[in-house]
Amino acid sequence: MTIRIRCGAWLATLLLLTGSASLQANTPDDQLIVGMNMNNLLTLDPAAMTGNEVVGIVVNLYDGLLELDPQQLTRVRPALAESWHISPDNSTLTFRLRDGVRFHSGNALTSADAVWSMRRVLHLNLAQASVWKSYGFTKANVDQTIAAPDARTLTIRLPKPNDPHLVLYSLAALGSMVVLDSKTVQAHAVNNDWGNRWLTTHEAGSGPFRLDGWQAKDVLTMSRAPDYWRGAAKMQRVVFRHLQESQTLRLMMEKGDLDIASNMAIPDVRALRNDPDLSIDSVQRGTLYYLAMSMKDPHFANPKVREALRYLVDYQGINKTLMAGYGVLHQRPIQAGMPATLPDPGYRLDMARARTLLAEAGYPDGFDTTLRVLADQPFLNVAIAIQSTLMQAGIRARIITGTGNQIYGAMRDRQFGLLVGRGGSGVEPHPHSSLRSLVYNPDNADSARLTNFQGWRTSFYDAQLNSMIDRALTERDPAKQQQAYFAIQQRYDQLIPALMPISQMVDSVVVNNRVQAYQPHPSATTFLRDVWKTPERLAGGTP
Amino acid sequence: MIAALPQLRRVSKRATQVFITLFGLLLLTFFIGRVMPLDPVLAIVGPDADHATYQQVYHQLGFDKPLWAQFGIYLNGLLHGDLGHALLTGQPVSQDILRVFPATLELATLAIVIGAGLGVPLGVIAAARRNGAIDYAVRVVSLAGYSTPIFWGGMIGLLLFYAHLGWVGGAGRVDFSLDGVVPRRSGLMLVDALLAGNATVFWNALNHLILPASLLGFHSLAYISRMTRSFMLAQLSQEFILTARVKGLTEWQVIWQHAFRNILVQLLTVVALAYGSLLEGAVLIETVFSWPGFGSYLTSSLMLGDMNAVMGCVLVVGLIFVLLNLLSDLLYQVFDPRTKV
Repeated sequence: MTIRIRCGAWLATLLLLTGSASLQANTPDDQLIVGMNMNNLLTLDPAAMTGNEVVGIVVNLYDGLLELDPQQLTRVRPALAESWHISPDNSTLTFRLRDGVRFHSGNALTSADAVWSMRRVLHLNLAQASVWKSYGFTKANVDQTIAAPDARTLTIRLPKPNDPHLVLYSLAALGSMVVLDSKTVQAHAVNNDWGNRWLTTHEAGSGPFRLDGWQAKDVLTMSRAPDYWRGAAKMQRVVFRHLQESQTLRLMMEKGDLDIASNMAIPDVRALRNDPDLSIDSVQRGTLYYLAMSMKDPHFANPKVREALRYLVDYQGINKTLMAGYGVLHQRPIQAGMPATLPDPGYRLDMARARTLLAEAGYPDGFDTTLRVLADQPFLNVAIAIQSTLMQAGIRARIITGTGNQIYGAMRDRQFGLLVGRGGSGVEPHPHSSLRSLVYNPDNADSARLTNFQGWRTSFYDAQLNSMIDRALTERDPAKQQQAYFAIQQRYDQLIPALMPISQMVDSVVVNNRVQAYQPHPSATTFLRDVWKTPERLAGGTP
Repeated sequence: MIAALPQLRRVSKRATQVFITLFGLLLLTFFIGRVMPLDPVLAIVGPDADHATYQQVYHQLGFDKPLWAQFGIYLNGLLHGDLGHALLTGQPVSQDILRVFPATLELATLAIVIGAGLGVPLGVIAAARRNGAIDYAVRVVSLAGYSTPIFWGGMIGLLLFYAHLGWVGGAGRVDFSLDGVVPRRSGLMLVDALLAGNATVFWNALNHLILPASLLGFHSLAYISRMTRSFMLAQLSQEFILTARVKGLTEWQVIWQHAFRNILVQLLTVVALAYGSLLEGAVLIETVFSWPGFGSYLTSSLMLGDMNAVMGCVLVVGLIFVLLNLLSDLLYQVFDPRTKV
């Protein structure tokens, strides 16, 4: 055979291969294929997880005691706990657990497992311990405060005064206090690690799906548990695929190779808006986008400067042009939509007023500072917009971009001037959820290292505000409690805070119209057990 | 016995060089990794963790020890065959590398077959038809291949061949619904599908592989064809070529049997280096195609500051180049008898 013939044969083979097996099928009727960026998915351990993506997976592998209704967040629904009771003095919560529930291993689920799982979160003291520690639980007291008087009863005694409804919301919304199969996990514990290493890539739950496997930054598959106590899930299998590139996600949604795509860039989401086969589900989260100032910086310690900055942000323009799809205008430290949330104060860009305030503060010509921001959208565009309006008033803010842990790392170290970021919990439908994260700062000393409080990170401290927050939390009359939260927001506003909310986060998910009963959850606890798909060849099919 | 001594000396000299190279690589990577402004602890505990949790994990990871002690602990583990655990996956790094490397091996091997299989003949033809239409065409193709950003090429390739024409599969190694259908044995999807006797998965995997491999192959082709052309031009201006022509040999014989044979050794180095670069990780193509390969793993680990994983990867890359160098040396002896002496 001559070289020419050999080359020809090679080319022909290549073309044949390229064109072969090219039939593209839609996703199977009994499988849900979800595309998402799984870069932040580092562990499946409910006690150690960070980020929304993993919560959405964990709540489908495990069951919690309670759930929040995605359509009416303040409505707490029974899950493993079929009933619960708050003691008259608001200090103890008692749960009656469902009978006959079994883990995927076949072990019976008892209240001893629930107690062990909760103690485990505090003993491990990893990412999910933070909220519970803020409620007063510690390694030292958790063994006394959480108990199982019998196989179906669980009691939680609150270590310090708290609103028991907030605790119920946390139990339902955080996903950290799901119930683990203590026997299975203990069998895999190494060096007293409470099974942490094993649970990084395994599960020991009782949820509607069991984990088939997870390969980091590749694929996570789970299949339905046939004996699930609520009845088997509609989908046989759920596949989560790591797709880092938003445009790849978009192409695969258009082709029908994915049923659901999350974490897509908003321009790509917008491009799919008119696709008749796809829908866009937007869900408002409690997290806020903000401009933060460090009061360790003498410029921003001056209330006149902070007030000037309040009028140097084009809130309306930013939300209309840059935040569309990412967030909606919001200027209060408590998430929108709750009875305790005051209407927005209506701050707008007001250059003349800002210049006057700067002159009164002693900076008629402005000053130099830095503006830290994640090298990601929409943060970067928002920072550029703010930089531009600051510049008009003479404040020369040099933008420093970085990854999440570089930007928030600097904030945790109180080493920043200005910062555009996102935070504020807001997972629980309770004003304290945001206030705890964004405003509360019980000790402003550097040595306190209260890095989980953004109030501390910005060095914003007001003893009266702290005490108002503490009192509002324990107020038992709902009407008075609401009034107390109104007062907190008013005082926060008067103090001219170091952290100015700009927008409340919106999460957009693209869903193929074949997917039915998919309800994105504002707390990221999206349940997939009832999701089903219209069979490919049948319009309006049934599960 | 005495005859074997020089051989032994050569082997021990090479082994020492390899050892020093790998040690230097590890040392450099470790210290560069430690001065990078990345905080793996924060990635693990999340930005909202309190200080006590942060400190606990910081201590657990051994970051409170002096740098030299951390490096010593790592080396000690390495000598016991332990590359440590990756933060990204919680798994032993060796296990992770064994998982991700076959995906890249499969991609890079097909890519180099395409790149060298087309690039070498094109380079030879371009040199033989110097300044002719074919030469210009090859040079334009090479230039395009070399200067087109691979990331952009990947997106356009997906848009055209996957989204519009539907000729090839999309992202991933197989259709998502076929994930995990064949048991993993070698980690090479095509081989595993064949071993499982599953034709559907085999064709599907090939269908997913062909586009990223062709794009990478095109990139390598550009480099290989340009190098081949310039090696061939150098040979074709030699006097022995003139002699061959005077002897009345056909042009085909002159080019392929005389000129081409003389560039084989140089070409081997070029192809080996190109293959090494592909194995090292075609990060951008792996990102666009969501290819769970080595480059993607290395980059993610680096962004996380996960030094156990990064150093494991660096070690593998070092070994790849050492092995490719050894292979080139061996093949030199096959193609150039003078090197046997």
